[in-house]
Amino acid sequence: MTGALLVVAFAAAFNPFRSRGALPETSDGRGRAVPLLVGGALAVASVAALAWWSGPVLRTLQITPETFKIAAGFVAVLAGGYAFVVAVPSAEPELGGWRAGVWPVWYPRLLGPEVIVLALTAGAGNGVAATSWSAAAAVTALFALAPVHGRVTRRVLVWFGRILSAALVVVGVWLTIDGIRDV
Amino acid sequence: MVRRRLAVHLSALLVGAAVVRIAVVPAEVCPQVTASEVRSAVDAAAGWLERNVQPDGRYLYGYDRDTGVVSGDYNEVRHAGIVMVLYQVYAATGAADALAAGDAGLHRALGQLLDHGDWVAWAPPGEVTSGGNALLLAGLAIRRTATGDTIHDAVMRGLARFLVAMQFPDGSVSSDWRDRPIATHALYSTGETAWALALVDREFPGEGWGEAAVRTVDYMVSERDRAEGRFSRLPDHWAAHTLADLRPDLLTDRRIEYARRLAGYFSIRIRFESQRLGTGINLLLRWYPGTPAGFGTAGEGMGALRRLASDDPRLADVAGGIDDRIACAVGLMVDRQVTPQEAAQAARPDLEEGAWFYRGHTQMDDQQHTITALLEALPVLEAREAGG
Repeated sequence: MTGALLVVAFAAAFNPFRSRGALPETSDGRGRAVPLLVGGALAVASVAALAWWSGPVLRTLQITPETFKIAAGFVAVLAGGYAFVVAVPSAEPELGGWRAGVWPVWYPRLLGPEVIVLALTAGAGNGVAATSWSAAAAVTALFALAPVHGRVTRRVLVWFGRILSAALVVVGVWLTIDGIRDV
Repeated sequence: MVRRRLAVHLSALLVGAAVVRIAVVPAEVCPQVTASEVRSAVDAAAGWLERNVQPDGRYLYGYDRDTGVVSGDYNEVRHAGIVMVLYQVYAATGAADALAAGDAGLHRALGQLLDHGDWVAWAPPGEVTSGGNALLLAGLAIRRTATGDTIHDAVMRGLARFLVAMQFPDGSVSSDWRDRPIATHALYSTGETAWALALVDREFPGEGWGEAAVRTVDYMVSERDRAEGRFSRLPDHWAAHTLADLRPDLLTDRRIEYARRLAGYFSIRIRFESQRLGTGINLLLRWYPGTPAGFGTAGEGMGALRRLASDDPRLADVAGGIDDRIACAVGLMVDRQVTPQEAAQAARPDLEEGAWFYRGHTQMDDQQHTITALLEALPVLEAREAGG
């Protein structure tokens, strides 16, 4: 995967537009900064850890990186399709204070199955640094969306989220084909 | 509340992971083998072919161990393939039995030549095929290199001229001669023809055989699959052999790119095969381990491309992956071969030892393609054992 495609893939997998719709919020509808920072940092750290361990994980699973790419593509297509149809994630109960960054921001909102498989396949193919930076760029976009509030703006977020969900499907198809054609 | 939702999410994640693991990416099981074990496997498989040379120079076609029936069928193109692979074995191991068995089949073919004046062709009763002639010619070229024997040079040039006569202006190859080249193409005769011409070019440099070979190579690169009505690219092991044996100055970027794509097709075939256990739910999802001939073609194609990749820096980025797939493929092949101990328990040990079976049946090309794959893999394993 090229660097640009990796950023697009993580942006589509994290889908900041869709994720923004299910973040802990202040009373005026803005995203709460501390949980977002905690959850975002944990998500990027998780991606970095998965990328770091991708080799041993795939060896333990007895799957070549090339074949795992097919699995990652399969998961991305399913996750993208689901996110396109269910454009607003279900509301989750929140832990109090900064711990809301752990639940529900880090998990299940940001560290979805599509992010996990993408971290593993990108870690094996592109290395830890490129993978982590791409994930960080996608999460930064989510930070930028934190102040967004208002009914009309939320509708815009939903449609942009759908566009990224469709992009995730495309990324999944591309990963599958690339995994099939890889040596 | 949070715990309940966490349990729901984690359960869904685990179930999803299990489905992906079982249905999409089962474990790729690659038994480890040594070069010595691969050489023994080649000897055993060649032994199956050598034991079963018939008095008329044919080879045993097939055997079904479940019914005990020895096949009465025959296929002349595969006959030529066996002649060729026996010469490959002789070239690699120096086994005199392999040379003798190859010569028996060759002698039969040389007694069936059609002399057209400007070319000669092997014409067993009822057929004059480009594929059969190409494999016979490839065998003769390998024999010439291995033995230094030039006695068949005139026949080789005659066969090569026949293959050129079977080429159409666009580089495609007619499958059969019936007073003229008929306008049909066989699945593999195109690649077989190109390979034979590439090998002859090595034996008789400066006579234009390589240039004739690349006409067909370029047809395979650009038009073949669309022109012959295939939805996807044909993973053609003969094309891989051709590219590996072409003169280096004929390896344009476009042809190298074709080699890269072929490596991808062989790779997915080998990776898929390594996921097949043939038991339980894996059987439902992946079916039985594939036919030895089919799997062998992927192994030999990859082996040929390995030779190309080790010589051509444009393929250096895929050389490691190619080596990994080859090591995996030959591990599976050695693991699936009938051992002397297993054969000793069989009704016909002589028809089982050294062979590969698919659901109880083996036929000559199962041994042919797998032997070539094993021979092509030997340098990879030897290099790895030497720490290279």
